[in-house]
Amino acid sequence: MTVTYVLMQNLRRNPLRSALTCLAFALPMAVFVAALSFVVALRDMAQANEKQLRLAVHHKTSIINLLPEGMRRRIEALDPQRQRLTAVCGMRWFGGRVPGTPNTLTSLAADADTFPAVYAEVGLTPAEIEAWQRDRRAAVVGRGPAEQHGWKVGGRAVLESTVPPYLSLEFTIIRILDDPQRANVFYFRRDYMDEALREAGWDADKVNIFWVKCVSAEALRSLQQDIDALFADTPDETKSEDENAFIANFTQAAGDIPGLMKAMAVVVVFIIALVAGNTMMMSFRERTRELAVFKAIGFQSWRIFGIVLGESLLLAMAGSLLGIVPAALVLALAPARGMNVGPINALEVSPAAVAGSLIIAAAVGAAAGLWPAVQGLRLRTVDALRIPG
Amino acid sequence: MSGTDIVLQDVRKVYYKDRLEIPVLEGLDLRVDAGDFVALMGPSGSGKSTLLHLIGGLDRPTSGQVRVGQAELHRMSERQLTAWRSRHVGFIFQMYHLVPVLTAAQNVELPLLLFRMPARQRRQRVQVALDVVGLGDRMDHRPNQLSGGQEQRVAIARAIVTDPDVILADEPTGDLDAATSSEILDLLRLLNSEFGKTIVMVTHDPRAAARSRRTLHLDKGVLDREELHAATPTGAGA
Repeated sequence: MTVTYVLMQNLRRNPLRSALTCLAFALPMAVFVAALSFVVALRDMAQANEKQLRLAVHHKTSIINLLPEGMRRRIEALDPQRQRLTAVCGMRWFGGRVPGTPNTLTSLAADADTFPAVYAEVGLTPAEIEAWQRDRRAAVVGRGPAEQHGWKVGGRAVLESTVPPYLSLEFTIIRILDDPQRANVFYFRRDYMDEALREAGWDADKVNIFWVKCVSAEALRSLQQDIDALFADTPDETKSEDENAFIANFTQAAGDIPGLMKAMAVVVVFIIALVAGNTMMMSFRERTRELAVFKAIGFQSWRIFGIVLGESLLLAMAGSLLGIVPAALVLALAPARGMNVGPINALEVSPAAVAGSLIIAAAVGAAAGLWPAVQGLRLRTVDALRIPG
Repeated sequence: MSGTDIVLQDVRKVYYKDRLEIPVLEGLDLRVDAGDFVALMGPSGSGKSTLLHLIGGLDRPTSGQVRVGQAELHRMSERQLTAWRSRHVGFIFQMYHLVPVLTAAQNVELPLLLFRMPARQRRQRVQVALDVVGLGDRMDHRPNQLSGGQEQRVAIARAIVTDPDVILADEPTGDLDAATSSEILDLLRLLNSEFGKTIVMVTHDPRAAARSRRTLHLDKGVLDREELHAATPTGAGA
C-alpha cells in the first residue's frame, strides 16, 4: 500500500460525490479541449499560411461581389518579369454538396493553369498536374468527404450547388488530400464551372477572389499596395490582404470565434474551480478528525498538505481525462467533417490542446485543493480530535 | 530515569479563549514507570485528556518538563514531536477513527507507511498485529463490515504495529457495551503484561480503571489521589 493508493481509495469514500465532481470536470473539459483545439488549429493554420506568401485580392465591398476574371491579366502585368509574384489564381465559390446530404463542402473552382503553382503545398505530383490540366472535370478533394462518400482516385463524384443557378456537376477525382486543414475541401477547374454557368444563362468569367502567390513577404506587402492602387476608383475596387488577415476577417464575419472560445474557456475554468473548491472543502471538513489521527500517528503536516492537495489533483485529472479522452476519440474517429466551422475543415484534438487542458485541469485542481490543504497544514491535532462527531 | 519512564515535572498548561486564560493543569508532577498500566480519571475539565496529549507529544506544556524515556518533549519542535510519535507512541481513541475505505489490514498498515520498510515486512507486521488482537482472519474486512469491538481491536492493532514503547488510550471503551469493553481491557492488559507496553488510559468508567495497575484521580488540574489495584485476572468482566 502507498499514500497514492490511500488517496485513490479516498475518492471511493463518497462515490456519488466523486462521480459528480468528476463529471463536473469532465463535461466542461470536453468542451474546453475542443475550444482549445479550435484556437490551436487556427494558430497552426496561420503559421502554415504565413509560409505560403499568398495575397487575397477581393472586392472592397464584400467577398460576395464578383470580380471580372480579366483583372488577373492586369495584376500579372504589375510584375511582368515575375520578380515579385509567381502566379495568380482566380477562385469562385461553388457552394456544392453531395446530393441528399445537408452539409456544404468548401467547394472552390480554381484557374486550371495556375492552381498547382499557387497551391504548391497541396503537393500535386506531375502526373496529377497532368491529369488536372487534361481533364476539365478533375477534382482534388479532402479526406473527409472522400471517406464519407467512398470516393476513390479515378472515381466519379457529383456535387450540386446550393446557390443559384443550382448547378449539378460531375467530377473525376484525381487526388485525395490527407492534410487535416483541407479535410473538407473540393477543388475543381473554374472553366468547367463557367461552361455550366453559361449553359444555364448565368454570369460566367467572374471570381470571388484572386490568390496572388508572392516570392517574399516584402513583395507581398508591395503588391498589396500596388493592386489596391491599380483598381482604386473603379467599379471593381479591391481590398488585398495576406491570407491570415483574410481568414481572420472571414472567420470573424460570424463573430470573434477565437475570442468567444477563449471567453468560454475562462468561464468554464472558473465554474470548475468553484465546484471543485466547494467539494474539496466539504471533503476536508468531513475528515478533519481523521486527518488529525493521521497526524497523531506520525504523519507530518506537509504530508497532510500533500494528501489533501493530491486528492484534489487526482479528482481534477481523473475528471479531465474522462472528458478529454472521449472528446479526442470522437473528433479523431469522426473529424468534424462537413461542419464547415469557419476556416477549420477538420477539427481534431491536438496534442497541444490536450496538454494545455491537462495543465489547466491540474492548475484548477491545485487551486481548488489549496485552501483545504493549507487548513490541513495548520491543523492542530488536539483541537481537531476534540471536534464532536 | 530508565527505559521509557514517563516523567512530568511542574507542568502547567493554559489555554486561551477570547483572551481569557483557562488553566487546565496547575504544576502537575507525575511519574509512570516503564511497563506500568495507569488509568486517569476525573470529572470533565479536570485535565485528563490534556495530560494524555502532553505525554503523547500532541501538545506542549505552557511551562514545566515532560520526559518520555530520553525524549524531552517540552523542548521539541512540532516536526520533531510528530517524528517521535511515529516511533514511540501508539494512540487508541474512543471512536476508533479508522479510514472507512481501507481494509482492516490497510488501516493497520497506515503508520508503517512512514517507515522505510519492504512491503513484505510490512505485511508480516500487519499480520502479527492483527493476530495479537485476534483479528487475523478479518484482514480484508472494511470497518463497516466489523462490529464496534472489532473496530477498536483494529485500532489497537494500528497502535501497536510500529511496536511503540507507550500506548495512550483515550476512553477506549467509551463507545462499547460491557462485554466488549471487557474484551478490549483484557487486550490492553495483555499488551501490558505480555508485551511490556506502558499504558496510560483515560476513562470515566471506574470498572475499566480497576483493570489497570493504578488509577490517578485528577481534579482541577492537579493529581488528587492515587489508587492501587490488585491484579485482576483477564476476563473478569468490566
